[in-house]
Amino acid sequence: MDYTKYRIKAEKEVREVISNINNLCIIWCKKCFSEFKEEPADECGKVVEVARELNIEIIECRGIDFLCNNHLTGKVLKNFKDNIPLAVISCGIGIQFVSNFFNGNRKVLALADSLPQSGNATSIVGYHGIALGEEKCAACGQCYLEKTGGICPVVSCAKSLLNGPCGGANKDGKCEVNKELPCAWIEIYKRLEKQKKLMDKNIDIRNYNIFSVEEKVRYVKNNQERRKEGFYGGLYPLEKKELTETIPLKIFDPPDVFSVFLSQHTGRPAKLIVKAGDRVKKGQKIGEPDGFISSAVHSPVSGKVIAIEERIHPVSRIPQVAITIENDGTEILDGSVESLTDWDKLPKERLIEILKEKGIVGLGGAMFPSSVKLCPPKPVDTLIVNGCECEPYLNADNRLIIEHPEEILKGIEIVRYLLEVSNIIFAIEDNKKEAIEVIRRCSENYPALKLETPRTKYPQGAERMLIKRTTGRDVPEGGLPFDVGCVVFNVGTLYSIYRAIYEGMPVIERPVTVAGENAIAAGNYIIRIGTHFSDILDTCFGIKSLPSQYELRMGGPMMGVLQKDVNSSVIKGTTGLLLLEKYPVGVSEENTCIRCGRCVDACPMELIPYYYAYYGQKCLWNEMVKYKVKNCIECGCCQYICSSKIDLISLIKKGKRNADNKT
Amino acid sequence: MLITKLKEREEILSVLNSKNVFIFKCFGCKEVYLPEGEIDLLLTELKCMERMARVDYLCREEFTVKYLGKYADVLKKADKIVVFSCGVGVQVVAKCIPETPVIPGCDTHYINGFQGLTTQDVDCEMCGQCWLNLTGGICPITSCSKSLLNGPCGGANKDGKCEVNKDMDCGWVLIYKRLKLLGEEEILKRHSVNIRDYKLIINGDKKE
Amino acid sequence: MNFEEKLKSGKFVITSEIGPPKGTNIMPHIEEAEHIKDKVDAFNVTDLQSSVMRLGSLATSHLLIEKGLEPVFQMTCRDRNRLALQSDLLSAAVLGIRNVLILTGDHTVLGDHPDAKPVFDLDSISLLKVVSDLMKGKDMAGNELDGVPYFFPGAVVSPGYEPQELQIIKMEKKIEAGAKFFQTQAVYDLVAFEKFMEKASKFGVPVLGGIVLLKSAGMAKFMNENVAGVNVPERYIKMMAEADKKDRPKVSIQIAAELIKGMKNLCSGIHIMPLGWEKYVPDVLDASGF
Repeated sequence: MDYTKYRIKAEKEVREVISNINNLCIIWCKKCFSEFKEEPADECGKVVEVARELNIEIIECRGIDFLCNNHLTGKVLKNFKDNIPLAVISCGIGIQFVSNFFNGNRKVLALADSLPQSGNATSIVGYHGIALGEEKCAACGQCYLEKTGGICPVVSCAKSLLNGPCGGANKDGKCEVNKELPCAWIEIYKRLEKQKKLMDKNIDIRNYNIFSVEEKVRYVKNNQERRKEGFYGGLYPLEKKELTETIPLKIFDPPDVFSVFLSQHTGRPAKLIVKAGDRVKKGQKIGEPDGFISSAVHSPVSGKVIAIEERIHPVSRIPQVAITIENDGTEILDGSVESLTDWDKLPKERLIEILKEKGIVGLGGAMFPSSVKLCPPKPVDTLIVNGCECEPYLNADNRLIIEHPEEILKGIEIVRYLLEVSNIIFAIEDNKKEAIEVIRRCSENYPALKLETPRTKYPQGAERMLIKRTTGRDVPEGGLPFDVGCVVFNVGTLYSIYRAIYEGMPVIERPVTVAGENAIAAGNYIIRIGTHFSDILDTCFGIKSLPSQYELRMGGPMMGVLQKDVNSSVIKGTTGLLLLEKYPVGVSEENTCIRCGRCVDACPMELIPYYYAYYGQKCLWNEMVKYKVKNCIECGCCQYICSSKIDLISLIKKGKRNADNKT
Repeated sequence: MLITKLKEREEILSVLNSKNVFIFKCFGCKEVYLPEGEIDLLLTELKCMERMARVDYLCREEFTVKYLGKYADVLKKADKIVVFSCGVGVQVVAKCIPETPVIPGCDTHYINGFQGLTTQDVDCEMCGQCWLNLTGGICPITSCSKSLLNGPCGGANKDGKCEVNKDMDCGWVLIYKRLKLLGEEEILKRHSVNIRDYKLIINGDKKE
Repeated sequence: MNFEEKLKSGKFVITSEIGPPKGTNIMPHIEEAEHIKDKVDAFNVTDLQSSVMRLGSLATSHLLIEKGLEPVFQMTCRDRNRLALQSDLLSAAVLGIRNVLILTGDHTVLGDHPDAKPVFDLDSISLLKVVSDLMKGKDMAGNELDGVPYFFPGAVVSPGYEPQELQIIKMEKKIEAGAKFFQTQAVYDLVAFEKFMEKASKFGVPVLGGIVLLKSAGMAKFMNENVAGVNVPERYIKMMAEADKKDRPKVSIQIAAELIKGMKNLCSGIHIMPLGWEKYVPDVLDASGF
């Protein structure tokens, strides 16, 4: 089925329109709502031919994905050579958008007619639904479907009759206007018979005075504002914060056995420095950083190393080395755990070295070693404290802010000392009223700290989006926050920096939100690193294994990684553990893209994700790279919004991995 | 673009108050604005949330069928199904369960054509004969309340606002100004009479 | 001489207007028209003016012909599609109606049936073209007519409309499409009207200046604010405001007469729209010297 919205004008008209000009730029829309079987065909061939015949020089000819996407198309249009007539091949929206963009400063030619989408004269235009089905809605504003057994008389009857058939149908019950179509009223009659319902006896008359300009303007404005609010794209998923937002942080009882992965951070896994049989103390280093981008890991408990074995890693989902430790219940601290109150007397390099030793990594989920961030290669003027927690369900950071604001502020002090920044922005999304209040109160005697409370939008907690939202700065493509003078620290990380310095405690535990529809003890827990998921499921859900109709996610529902093995364990990047009911319709890598354009609309990195579906399915990794798959931050917006439920994130990950392997 | 609005409260209450009702609610989409919050409030108030399934893209039959399968047991017992979605969603559910009456919970309103996938403030009514070459890229069909093709009706007020709605600019005044900017006023003077071909709409349903 | 011949002869013509009632009680309106038939050359019969449902202009025009009066049959595009419009034109022709005035028509939402479906299948210009084609023996689809009608088609123009150029362009298109005469929106500003006529007279098609009797200062202000292209000068508003209620018709007649006298040398005739004050039309004409 092809729901393309335009076709090129007849050659005669094209000829007329482009006569009397010397040169021409052409842009054509790559169309929407067409099953994505191949790269969209070049639509301007016919125009180029005619132009050549008329000796018109074609300066530029370019296909654009979703011409009606004003944000992305605007960037392209800016670069078109001045004063050359621009021919547009698209539906009426694209042509009008381009005309308005140049607002009379440039000749814009329409070379296509939009295609009417309705088969009905009276209703003028119908809507076919996002799914390209057969049913249409004429959007008459007065739904009759109840009376007509769910078959719309406005759309399905050629005359849009509301009170019964016209009598024009032939003996086979076909419509007088088109013999291929059944008479809608006969269909309605049959359907009602099945439901043992009588035809409605009321006389219906349509009210045509329903369209309201105000409403339309409000709606369009609202939609545009939401898309551009703070940063381009993004989503507003159901927040579901209410499940755990008022539950205070609680210590999760240390289980009997832990498994601590050596890879708990971006970069090389830590080097193993213990062996099976060793006794370890709580906070003792058991893995040494291996290189500049690496971090240390520590024993979360006092006990005995009982095995060094491979387990399914919760992020990579492939077997990786973990140290299994049996808890002896004594909680004896390692000697290295000692507080350091006069930290500001130490040279900065030493302080950063200590933080690296204490295994500090970004606890927001990315697990990037903080020591690297603290040695920026470029001057940095702004520290952004990330308290957004934009993922639905999660409240761990939220609770941390509410319960430990002073500690976080002390962590900020340490980072400020190290980076020598003048601006500190504390960003909390506006759905966390209590946390905002707490920080507002604390910041009263902290003038350098500016509290920002942007409206909730996903993925605002991602570095780039947060920088754009709070400072207006655009991190360049392929660049890092340093490039625009910013460093972003998650509140959890700052709290762990505080503890590492003031208490000497390395990262051996972290706040985790545990939630889900069937939880018996949902909440926000301080959970030791290495705690098995099975222990958490047992305590919080009362189950030992994964029920088939549920899925377990580490992290939030958007970016969280699906867990297959409950013997996997909590790592430093475990922000949450969610047990959610599976949707009857799950995502699949094989589903076909229908080019609805939603992913383009939602991608905060301004990418065109549907190409990843297309090329990913064909294993054309280089093509994915061409469409900037490496810029993808895997926020999951495209997959969430995908109307075909394509498992875009898996395809993207594959693409990145395979492209890396090749180069 | 479409907007769905809840039907009159009494009308919905009369249906939802009966016992064996099952409810489907679409997520809504950018093409169709769905007042989810309002629906949820009402359903909570009537204690109907347990009898409700929230379905992403109800209009997609292959997905909807799977949801219907999941709720097969309750649906068998239901003597009515209420659907909160645009008219497409209601029709898809009705088609999949033809033996049970399906009742729309919303009215779907058409708002002046298609606004593009990204909700532009321009509208395309998909008339099948693009006039934009003659009008400086401003659509006379959607920007004029009467969809006039040959110039203004004369009903605009002194500020160039439409007689139908004072918040709306007269499309033809806008067209005139745009053509002036382009230096193409002579297009207006070309004495061709434009008449719409409505047959395009009847046959425009991709039959070719 | 009929209306068309009078215009062609260069006589200064006068038209007035009948607004059919909501209901069947048309006779008082016809009688009022008969009163002044010696002074008025033709009577416009409005087509559901202001989008309010009323007795139709086709039947009323026919009744006028029966009484020996000459109607100008007004047709809007609001309520009929192209089939009905063409058919009604043919009906008009067989009922002896020659003069038709083609308008786009007010939008349905402004009238008393705002729920109605607005048609606007054609607009004033395309309908004028249809009239011309019918006169050539062809319908819109190009089919031959069995019996060809004759019409004297006219159109409207609004001299005070801004941007004026757009109005002039449209006027020109209407002429191209077949308009043989124009009646204008109410004129109150003679200076502006003169400027408009400088441009309009170039087309060589007769223009009848519109006169609407002011009923009160409030009406004048309302029109200034709400009616497109109407601009009542302060001076007239003041005159109306200062007059006693019983003297208002007198002042109004005086203003109308002043305007008509001023128009005599500018255009080909006048078109009086009494809007319920039909009884004062003779006085207006007397005061203007007719």
